[in-house]
Amino acid sequence: MSVKPVVQIRDLTKVIGKKTIIDQLSFDVYPGEVFGFLGPNGAGKTTTIRMMVGLMRMTEGEVLIDGSSIKTDYENAIVKVGAIVENPEMYKFLTGYQNLVHYARMVKGVSKERIQEVVQLVGLQGRINEKVKGYSLGMRQRLGLAQALLHRPKLLILDEPTNGLDPAGIREIRQYLRTLAREENVAVVVSSHLLSEIELMCDRIGIIQSGKMVDVQRVNDFVKNDHAVMVSFEVDPVEHAIHAVKANFPDCEIEQADRKLTIKIEHELIPEVTAVLVEKGVRVYGIQSSVKTLEDVFLEVTGGEQVV
Amino acid sequence: MSSMVHLIQNENMKIYRRVGTWVMIGLVVAAVLVTAIFTNMNASDETSNWRTDAESTIQQSEETLKDSEGMPKAFKNSQERSIAINEYRLENDIPPLASDSIWSFMDSSTGVVSLISIFTIIIGAGVIASEYSWGTIKLLLIRPASRTKILASKFIATLLFALFSLVILYISSFIIGGLFLGFDAVDQPYLTYSGGEVSETSMAVHYIVEYALASVNLLMMVTFAFMLSSIFRSSSLAIGLAIFLMFTGSQLTFILSQYDWVKYILFANTDLSVYFDGSPLIESMTLGFSLVTLLVYFIVFLFLSWLLFTKRDVAA
Repeated sequence: MSVKPVVQIRDLTKVIGKKTIIDQLSFDVYPGEVFGFLGPNGAGKTTTIRMMVGLMRMTEGEVLIDGSSIKTDYENAIVKVGAIVENPEMYKFLTGYQNLVHYARMVKGVSKERIQEVVQLVGLQGRINEKVKGYSLGMRQRLGLAQALLHRPKLLILDEPTNGLDPAGIREIRQYLRTLAREENVAVVVSSHLLSEIELMCDRIGIIQSGKMVDVQRVNDFVKNDHAVMVSFEVDPVEHAIHAVKANFPDCEIEQADRKLTIKIEHELIPEVTAVLVEKGVRVYGIQSSVKTLEDVFLEVTGGEQVV
Repeated sequence: MSSMVHLIQNENMKIYRRVGTWVMIGLVVAAVLVTAIFTNMNASDETSNWRTDAESTIQQSEETLKDSEGMPKAFKNSQERSIAINEYRLENDIPPLASDSIWSFMDSSTGVVSLISIFTIIIGAGVIASEYSWGTIKLLLIRPASRTKILASKFIATLLFALFSLVILYISSFIIGGLFLGFDAVDQPYLTYSGGEVSETSMAVHYIVEYALASVNLLMMVTFAFMLSSIFRSSSLAIGLAIFLMFTGSQLTFILSQYDWVKYILFANTDLSVYFDGSPLIESMTLGFSLVTLLVYFIVFLFLSWLLFTKRDVAA
C-alpha cells in the first residue's frame, strides 16, 4: 500500500513491575479503514489504547500519529486523535451541550456551528440541552462519539463502542463508522471482544492475546483462508447415510444428531456427497452449509478460552 | 495549544455549575447573618465615657511599664502601642470602635474566613480527584493541552473560588453589618502604630489587609489539600487530612513550642498577624523568616502535585 499510514505503532511495550503487559506490539492503520482490535478480556487492548493516546507512558517503542510522536510531540499528535477510552464518562451535572463546549474550548477552531453539526450527526439534537445525568447509556455513547469528532480527527479510537447500545443503535454506529472511514478518509480503530461485531464493522483485524499481536489480517481473508466448511444434511435413514459417506469420503469428520448428519468437507464436494446419498436411496430433506465464522478462527488462533 | 483562559473557563464551569458550590457560598452569607443577629442581640449599651476609659488604660500601661524589668520586648512594645494610640484618640477625639459598630462586626466576621478555608479545601481537593472518580480524566487529558497547563488551570480556578468567596464575605458582612448595626461609624479611621508614630488609615483598607492575613492559612491549607488530591486521587482523604491538620496544626505547634525547631513547621508560620500586633511563637522568628518558610512549603506542595499529576499513568 502506498498510502501513508495514520497510525504507526512500533515495538510498543509496557512493563509494570516485572510483568510485561504489552510485548513489542507493531501495526499500522491506514486512512479510510476500520481496524478491529480484537482480544479476550485482559489481553491488553485498553492498555494499548491508553498508550496510544498518552494516558499511559510506554516502556519502550513508539506511537506515531500522522507522523507526530505521542512521546515527544504530544500536542501535535493528539490533536489529530478523537477517542473514547472505555466508557464515555461525561460530566453528569452539565448538559450534553456544555460537555461539548468544554471539550471544544480545549482545541483551536471548533465553532458553535461545528458543535451543532456534530450533535445532528449523532442524533442528539432533541436532548442536547438536558443534563447528562438523565441520559441512557446509548445516549452517553452518542455524546462520547460527538466529543471525539468535534475537531475532525484523522484517527478515531473507540474502545468497545457498541457497549450498551440497542441493536438499532449498534447498526447505526456501524454504518456511521463505515461512512466516516469511506467518505472522510478517517482511520478508525475499534476494540472489542465481540467477534460478530468486529466481523461486520472492520476491514482488518488484529488479534491480541496476552499483550502480543497474534495475527493481523483482512477480515475476508481471515474467514476464507480455509475452504473446508461444515455441511449439515437432513437425511433418512441416518445409518445408511453415514455408511455411504464413510465408504466414499473416508477422510472427513462426521457428526450425527437425530436425523442430521454434519460433515466437514470442502465446498466443492457438496454436490458429490449429495449424489452419493441419493444414489444409495437415502432421502435428503435439506442441505445447509455453515461458513466458518470469525469466532471459530479466533478461538483457533488464541487457543480457546485462555484468558491471560 | 489550548489557551490557559479557556482551560480556566472550563474549570470554572465545572465548579459553578454544581449546586454544592452555591450551597457553600450561601452558607458563608448565612454565617455572616447569624453572627450579625447574635451581635445585635448581645449588644450592650456602652454609655460609659470612652475618654475616662482611655485615660485609665494609659495609666495602667504606664504603671506596668515602670516595673517592666525582665519582661519580654514584645510585651513592652504592645504597652507602648496601647499608650500611643489611646493618647492619639484623646487628642483627636476619635472614640474606639463600639462593639456594635459596623467595623467591629467586620472584625468578628473575619472568623468566617476559616469557613471559606474549609469550603475551598473541599473544592481544591475535588478539582483533581473528582475527575478520576467521575472517569472524566481520560477524556480531559487526551487533548492538545499539556498536563502542566491543566493542573495550573485547576489550581488557579480553586484560588479564584477562594477569592470570590472572600469578596462575597467582605461585601455581605459590610451590608449585613450595616443593616443590623447602622452605617454611622463607616467613616471612622483605623489607627496604626509603627516606629513610635500613630497614623490614620481607612477602615475598609484595614479590613482588606485583615482578610488577606487571615487568608494565608487558607492558601497554605488549600495548596496542601490540592497536593493530597493529586497524590491520592481521593477527595475524601484530601479533605479529611487537610481539615484535620488545619484544626490541630496550630495546637500541635503550641504544644511543641518549647523546641526551637518548631519554627520550621508550617503551622507555626501561617498566622502572620503576630508580627503586626502580638508576639511570635518563638522569639527568633521574624516576618521575613515566616514568609520564606511559607514560600518553601508552597513550592514543595505545588511541585509534588505537579510531579504526580504529570508523570503518573492514568490507569483504570
